[in-house]
Amino acid sequence: MNLRECLRIGWRSITSHKLRSTLTTLGVILGVAAVITFMVLGGGFSQSVVGEIEAEQEPVMTVHTQTDPPDGFGVMLVDTPIYTESDVEALEELEGVEWVAPEGSIGLAQTEYDDERVTGVVEGQATTPDRFEHDEFVDGEPFDWADEAVVSERVNDAFEGNLSAGEELTVTFEDGEERTVTVAGVVDDDLGGQSPPLVYLPVDEHHETTIETPDGDREPVYQSLVVGVESLGDVDPAQDAVTDYLAEESDASELKEDDDEIAVQTIEDAVEQFDDLVGQLTAFIGAVAAIALVVGSIGIANIMIVSVTERTREIGIMKAVGARRRDVMQLFLVESVILGLIGAVVGVLVGLGVGYLGVTLLEWPMVYPIDWIVIAIVVGVGVGVGSGLYPAWRGARVDPIEALRHE
Amino acid sequence: MITSPLESLSQLSRTLPTGTPTTDVEDGVDPVTETSGRPVAAAVDDVRKTYYLGEPVHALDGVSLTLPAGSFTAVMGPSGSGKSTLLNLFGCLDTPDEGTVEIGGEVASELSEAERARVRGTRIGFVFQGFDLLPRLTAVENVALPMVFHGRQGSDRHDRARGLLERVGLGDRLDHVPTELSGGQRQRVAIARALANDPAILLADEPTGNLDTETGERIMGLFRDLNGEETTILMVTHERHIADHADRIVHLLDGRIEEVEGLDPNERGGRPRPDPEDRVDGSGGGS
Ligand SMILES: Nc1ncnc2c1ncn2[C@@H]1O[C@H](COP(=O)(O)OP(=O)(O)O)[C@@H](O)[C@H]1O
Ligand SMILES: [Mg+2]
Repeated sequence: MNLRECLRIGWRSITSHKLRSTLTTLGVILGVAAVITFMVLGGGFSQSVVGEIEAEQEPVMTVHTQTDPPDGFGVMLVDTPIYTESDVEALEELEGVEWVAPEGSIGLAQTEYDDERVTGVVEGQATTPDRFEHDEFVDGEPFDWADEAVVSERVNDAFEGNLSAGEELTVTFEDGEERTVTVAGVVDDDLGGQSPPLVYLPVDEHHETTIETPDGDREPVYQSLVVGVESLGDVDPAQDAVTDYLAEESDASELKEDDDEIAVQTIEDAVEQFDDLVGQLTAFIGAVAAIALVVGSIGIANIMIVSVTERTREIGIMKAVGARRRDVMQLFLVESVILGLIGAVVGVLVGLGVGYLGVTLLEWPMVYPIDWIVIAIVVGVGVGVGSGLYPAWRGARVDPIEALRHE
Repeated sequence: MITSPLESLSQLSRTLPTGTPTTDVEDGVDPVTETSGRPVAAAVDDVRKTYYLGEPVHALDGVSLTLPAGSFTAVMGPSGSGKSTLLNLFGCLDTPDEGTVEIGGEVASELSEAERARVRGTRIGFVFQGFDLLPRLTAVENVALPMVFHGRQGSDRHDRARGLLERVGLGDRLDHVPTELSGGQRQRVAIARALANDPAILLADEPTGNLDTETGERIMGLFRDLNGEETTILMVTHERHIADHADRIVHLLDGRIEEVEGLDPNERGGRPRPDPEDRVDGSGGGS
C-alpha cells in the first residue's frame, strides 16, 4: 500500500472526528507551544540585552550585592546600602581603576513634567557624572552642577512625552521637599527594557544615607558602584583587585549579611549570569514540555486504541479484501503520526503567536527559534510513531474472522 | 478440448437423476467433488473446525467440497450449521484444524499470512451480508480499496473502479459515501469491490440477507451474469428462492454436508439462464 493512499485514508478518518482529534492533540500542542513561546521570549530578551551589550563592550564593571533567592532560581539583588565612602575612595586608588561612581537610590514621591504628574513610577538615583562615561546620550550630556539631572530614555514612556536637554522637571522627595531641576541629558542605558524610568541626580546634592562604619565613623553609604577602568586590557586585573579588596579589606565586607555576596561583574559576566538563568529556565520549561508531551502521547495512544477497537470490523473488511498486516499497521501509524505532526505544527504556530505578542509588548525583537521548531516537528512525529506503535500492532493482529463476526 | 461452462454444466446435471434433483453422497458419482473434467477453482478436503466453549462445537465436522471453475454453488442450512465457517475457509480468512484447503492450486496452510492476504486480494472477491463498506470512503474509493492493497496505479485504480460501478449500474453514485446509498446500492458497491482485482472466485455470505425480495433478485441477476462470464461463485443463503439461482445447493447440518441438490440450469431462479454472449449492460435499476 503506498504512502499517499495511506495519508489520504488516515486524513479522512482524522477529519471525520474533528473534536476528538483536536482534544487528542491538545497535549502535544501545549507542550510544543510552551517551548516555542519560551524560546521566542528568551531569544528576544537575549537579543535585546546581549545585542546591546555586545555592541558596546566597555571597560566598566558594576559592584552590587546579591543573594540566592529562597526558591533557588536565578539570583536576587540586595538593595541594602553597604558600600561606604571610604570603600569608594580606596577602590579609586587601585591599579587600573579610573573612576568609581557610587549609586544610591532616592525615594521620589512624585515627578512632574510639562504639567503632568506621575506618582511612584519614576525612581531616583544619586550618582556622579563619571557613571555616564560609557553611556550613549540621546540628547545632551551628563549633569555637572547641583540643579541638573540626567533622565533615562524610559522616562519618556512614563510621561508619554519626548524630553530633551534644557527642559524642566520637578521632583518631590519622600519627605515632601520639592525641587525643580533642568534636564542636562537623556541617556539610553536600558538593558532589555528591564530598568524602571530613572532620574539621575548629583550625589553631592541629593544623597543623604549614612552609616556607622566598622571604624566608628559616620559616612555616606551606597547600594551599588560602577567602576570605570582605564582600558579594556586592564579589566581583568582590575576586576581581581576590586574583588580582593571588597572581599577582604572593605567596610562592605563587614556590613553585608552573611548570606549575601558581593558581585563584581563586567558586562560579559552579567551576560554569562543571564545565560545561566536562561539555561535554568530552559531546563524547567523543557521538563514541563516533556510532561505535556508524555501526556500528549498517552492521549494519542489512547485514542488510537479506541479507534482500533471501533474499527475492528473495518479492519476485518480490509483484510478480507487483501490487506496485509503491514498495510493495517501502516494505516494506523500514519494516522497517529499525522496527529502528532498536527499537534507539533499547531503548537509551533501557537507558540510563535504567543511569543510574538510577548515580545511586542516588551519591545524586544522577534526571534524565530528555527532549531527548536525543527526539534518540535521531529518530536511531534516521534510522539506519533511512539504512541501509534502499540495500537497499530493491535490493529494489525485483528483476526478477520473475529472482526467480521463483530457487529 | 475446451468445454464451455454451459456444456459442462449440462453434463453435470445430466449425471444427476432427473425428476428428483437430489443425490446422495454415496451414489456412484460424487457431486461434491465431481468436476466433469473441468479445472478445479477451489476445494476443501475433509476439513474440520472445532470451537471449544466449555463443550466442543464442531463448526465443521469433515466437509469435502470441490468448486469446479465456473460453477455456482449455494450453501444452505440452519443457523450455526457452519456455512460462514466453510465460506471463510474458501476465502483464506480462516484455517481448518484438520483437512486441506486448496485455492487455484495453492494449499492455504502452506502459505504465509502475507501470501494468504495476496490470495484474498487477487483471487477471491468477498461480498458480505452487511454490505461491509468502509463508511468514510466514497463508492469509488471503496471499490478501489482491494487494488490499493495490490499495487495498481492511482488513476488506473480509479478508472477501473468507475468501470465496475458503471457495470453494476451505479455510474451516477461514484462519489457517494455508504450512508448516502440504499441497501441495494450498497450491496452493488460491495459486489463491484469484490470484482476489483478480477477474482476467479466470488464468495458471498448472505448477500441478499438484508435486502427486499425485488432487490435481492436484481443482485442475483448480477451474480448470474458474472457466473456466465466464468466467475466461480460460492454463496451462503437461507432463502430458497435465492439458492435456486445456483447450479447446485449444498445443505449443511451441524457441520456436515447433509445433501447436495443439483438444479436444472435451464430453470435456475425460475428463469432461463442468460446467454453467455449477453454482456452485463449495468442497466439494473437502483432500489
Ligand atoms: N469464533 C468462534 N468462537 C466460538 N464459536 C464459533 C466461532 N465461530 C463460529 N462458532 C460456532 O461454530 C458454529 C458454526 O458457525 P457459523 O459457521 O458462523 O454458522 P452459520 O454461518 O451457519 O450460521 C456455530 O455454532 C458458532 O457458534
Ligand atoms: Mg453465518
